[in-house]
Amino acid sequence: MNKTLLVIQREYATRVRKPSFWLLTILVPILFAALYAIPIYLALKPAEKSIVLVADESGLFGSADRNDTLRTDSRFASTNNIEYRYAATFEYAQRSMEADDDIKAILYVRRRASEAIPTDACLYYKSELPPQQVRYDVDRQLQRILRNRLLQAHNISDDEYALITNTRINLRTEDLETGREAFLEVKTGLGLVLSILIYFVIFMFGSQVMRGVVEEKSSRIVEVIVCSVRPFQLMMGKVIGIALVGLTQFLLWVALTGVALVGIQASNSELFHIASDKHNITELATKGSDATLQMQQNDQLADLPSVIEGIASIDFNTIVPLFLFYFIFGYLLYATLFAAAGAMSDTDTDTQIVSLPLTVPLLATLLCMPAMMNSPSGMLSQVLSIIPFTSPVAMMLRIPFGVSTAQVVISMLLLLVSIPLCTWLSARIYRSSILRYNLLTHWRKKNK
Amino acid sequence: MFLETRHIEKNFGTFRALDDINIGVREGTIFGLLGPNGAGKTTLIRLINRIARPDGGEILMDGRAVSDDDVRRIGYLPEERGLYKKMRVGEQAVYLARLKGLSRREAEGRLIRWFERFGIESWWKRPVEELSKGMQQKVQFIVTVLHQPRLLIFDEPFSGFDPVNATMLKDEILRLRKAGATVILSTHNMASVEELCDDIALINNAKVVLSGSVNEIRRSFSNNTFEAVTRKSDQKLQLPDSFDVVSSTCEDDIERLQVSLPKNATANDLIATLLNQCQIVSLNEMLPSMNDIFVEAVKKGGAR
Repeated sequence: MNKTLLVIQREYATRVRKPSFWLLTILVPILFAALYAIPIYLALKPAEKSIVLVADESGLFGSADRNDTLRTDSRFASTNNIEYRYAATFEYAQRSMEADDDIKAILYVRRRASEAIPTDACLYYKSELPPQQVRYDVDRQLQRILRNRLLQAHNISDDEYALITNTRINLRTEDLETGREAFLEVKTGLGLVLSILIYFVIFMFGSQVMRGVVEEKSSRIVEVIVCSVRPFQLMMGKVIGIALVGLTQFLLWVALTGVALVGIQASNSELFHIASDKHNITELATKGSDATLQMQQNDQLADLPSVIEGIASIDFNTIVPLFLFYFIFGYLLYATLFAAAGAMSDTDTDTQIVSLPLTVPLLATLLCMPAMMNSPSGMLSQVLSIIPFTSPVAMMLRIPFGVSTAQVVISMLLLLVSIPLCTWLSARIYRSSILRYNLLTHWRKKNK
Repeated sequence: MFLETRHIEKNFGTFRALDDINIGVREGTIFGLLGPNGAGKTTLIRLINRIARPDGGEILMDGRAVSDDDVRRIGYLPEERGLYKKMRVGEQAVYLARLKGLSRREAEGRLIRWFERFGIESWWKRPVEELSKGMQQKVQFIVTVLHQPRLLIFDEPFSGFDPVNATMLKDEILRLRKAGATVILSTHNMASVEELCDDIALINNAKVVLSGSVNEIRRSFSNNTFEAVTRKSDQKLQLPDSFDVVSSTCEDDIERLQVSLPKNATANDLIATLLNQCQIVSLNEMLPSMNDIFVEAVKKGGAR
């Protein structure tokens, strides 16, 4: 049996059997599922009830009936979990808050003689900060009431106001040749996810190769093994074995994340409906009194189809094969170099120094990402996506935006050509260093 | 000659590790490779194993240049030895045996027999890191000899072995020689050299400074000293002035006398002198120990 194959087998089997492999395999899909499920859960979870007392000296925002001091007024509209009550005076509100724990805050609008319209309001709380949601809602309603008062004062009807604020001109970015919309946000997001994934994969599995080499060196088993196997076979066996572990893990991630997402959707489908029903009810309730609020919501909803359309516009038939290409060959480029770095180290601490030349180009690409996202076809993006050491990460960021075939081909060819060169170099370093210890100490002494 | 090195040279940069090394190992013997630390023993072993390549000279096995096939028939226990800590003992031994060219079934069959011989069957499924150092050494030894190599190379095999394991190792080495294997033993342990080795080569400062059969070397270093054991006599022994008494001890009615004779004198002269004065129990030539020879040879060459 071929010895490289034996080494590959051992590397694969010992790694896949480790509990840490399965822990990571399970945790990552759970993380993805959680990212998806937690916002839904939070949206569905009934928030605790908060009562806000409004003490308004200006009378602009509604006032309490003196006979019925705690009457709910329609001008500050109570929502599902925030109830607004009016208090005649600030002092009365203070006393009420002492007595009732459900009262989370007092909105106090002071009257100043110099001002026709109050410019300053304060939300008082006692020891416990009111929920973010309460502060947003109070602010939103204050602005709304103020605006409605102003509209009335200037004789502007709701319809006129709606016309002014809702008439928008829509700016799109389109390809002149195909006439397709660019959907920049969707593509930026996708590019970011893909390139960070590649970065993560190269780093994680590359350093696994490095640690594996150091383990063999520090446990001194390597001398026994290189008697039966050539150093090159040992190195390549490790690199390929770990590549297979990486692919296994990646495929498991994809499969498990898919299962988890489908599972969440299936188990929550009813809740989804209830949630949207509730949404409709509140919408209906506020329709008459609050046209602008509804419009805001419509705005947000209007974004959703464009995201779906954006995703649909992405050419997955190109992206998926390219991702796999850069995933595998980006790893192979770095893996042998990481193996050489491991061969030069005696301990894990040594590797941090020796592997620095390898981590720098990877990290640099990561740091250049904002600039590249700003201009996916700019000079920086083009250069980084052609240099083999940065191209796997850089190209994945650009791919969703569309890259000319010529550039992709050059980048892929350069990467393919550099792999045997790096492997050759690494094999030389590996062979000459694997049985030598204290290389770093010698090197340091020499340079003192 | 089973294994022969001719004019071997090896340099690390400007450092000359081995310089014109010529040694010959006879088939079926134990060959001791001696020398102080840093003399180049391990480097020479790595060259024989083809882990490293010489810068000059050649290594012959059965009169031919050593091939990859020959290397597969070498069993090598390096000085710096280890095992994968996380792997199970049996699985790891099978893996290492398969790297040497054994099939899985063959490897398992032989390993089970060896494990039974050493009474360590129960370790098969345990991870190596749970084993003590002595236990790991047993496993390493088994892995070294499992593929029934024609040539065995042990680099400092006794370092780190406890006395029980060291004795076991000694017995196993002798047993392997009896079974026809050739052994190269690199060691500092001079007592074991006298006990085990047929021939030796002493390397110092990258050169062979002394080589040959152990008995011949010891004889050639002989300084004509004898130990005479006699019954105690009442009179004080009278010896010629040229006879130098190194030491004399008494226990009960036995007297031990170590005498260094002048170059032209023989044991017969000593016997003749003693014959009339006391009753001789025994007379032995005192050959210098390998330890003394080692120290003397190295001192003469000067340490680096």
